[in-house]
Amino acid sequence: MPDPKFERRPVLDPAVADLLSGMERRKAETQLPRQQREKKAKERAKITSRREQRATYDLPPQLRQRIKDLADRERLPASQLVSLALIRFLNDLETGAVDVDAMKQPSRSPRYDWNLDFPENLMPGLVLPRMIIKNGKKRS
Amino acid sequence: MKTIAFANQKGGVGKTTTAVTLAHGLARLGRRTLLVDLDPQGHVAFSLGLEKEPGLFNLIVSEMPLRKVVVHARENLDILPGDKMTEKVKRQITVSDFRESILANSLADLDYDAVLLDMAPSLDVLHVNGLVASDFVIIPTRLDALAVDGVREILLTMGEVSQRGHAFEGYSILPTFFDRTTRETLTQLQELVKTFGKKVWPPIPQDTRARESAAYGKSLWEYSPESTVLTGYADNGKHVGGYAQCLTRLLEVLDA
Repeated sequence: MPDPKFERRPVLDPAVADLLSGMERRKAETQLPRQQREKKAKERAKITSRREQRATYDLPPQLRQRIKDLADRERLPASQLVSLALIRFLNDLETGAVDVDAMKQPSRSPRYDWNLDFPENLMPGLVLPRMIIKNGKKRS
Repeated sequence: MKTIAFANQKGGVGKTTTAVTLAHGLARLGRRTLLVDLDPQGHVAFSLGLEKEPGLFNLIVSEMPLRKVVVHARENLDILPGDKMTEKVKRQITVSDFRESILANSLADLDYDAVLLDMAPSLDVLHVNGLVASDFVIIPTRLDALAVDGVREILLTMGEVSQRGHAFEGYSILPTFFDRTTRETLTQLQELVKTFGKKVWPPIPQDTRARESAAYGKSLWEYSPESTVLTGYADNGKHVGGYAQCLTRLLEVLDA
């Protein structure tokens, strides 16, 4: 016999489950006091407005840590620091101060033609995501 | 080849729109599809901009070969149209021997990947013929008490057909005319999901485009490919429901 505290979960179509939970959440919100309802609406609007600003990239852990340390030290949002760094980089790329072509190496991936081979002195100890070693071989 | 029936004895739940949209959706994916109109209203042909014809009558009563009575509607899509003469088909079937499997025999071993049956909102002999001919049943339902009761009725009929030896592969319930802003919709969906679990497919949003497309004689894929009724609700960057998602579920059934 299964433990009586275990409850059998109904198996649902995942899309139906998503939709249902969203509708149930909205219904629960309509029953909250006005102040809490407005707070929830604001939170939802904030999340929605931020969605456009979000991007996911793989970064080397050392680089991530450096950004975090800098943000802590300067008491600034890390996202703003990364935005500043990227704007500077894109400007440098446009003016030719940074030459990406010089770092390009052919890629074996079907998705990309090239990988960047970073100069060793760029950031000592930097391990790029594509350089992670598995079974003694570099992945590219 | 698999035969899929669209059935609910309650009228106005979206059986024809669902059958026409999914049939053309399959055809667009390269699946050779036959859509059979078992409803004397003959709305399958009308929905695709074609004339109503006594196709089913000619097949069953006049015993004409199928290839002579089907109408080529779109690339990879043929229809067996119906009209008021379909009523006479019922009379013919009623007085025939082995009457419950007449349609199944007429539609056996066809050169199609899928045969879709748009059933009439009734529980007559042609309806039973449609069920006996089908491998899988899709039950469109509005989320109101009357239509959901229709789901119960069609399942009872399927149970009776199964008891007489017909083996269904399964069935699914398709909520249609879905309006996620009303409490009654939520209550009925919760009830359906509690009872039928995974057999409830993602719902089809209510959308005027569905009515308009029939008036223009176009399928939804032709008339309004970006409409909510096809693409579903956009929620958190994902699309939920709509005929496009329904089509993926149908493909899983066909390829199972």
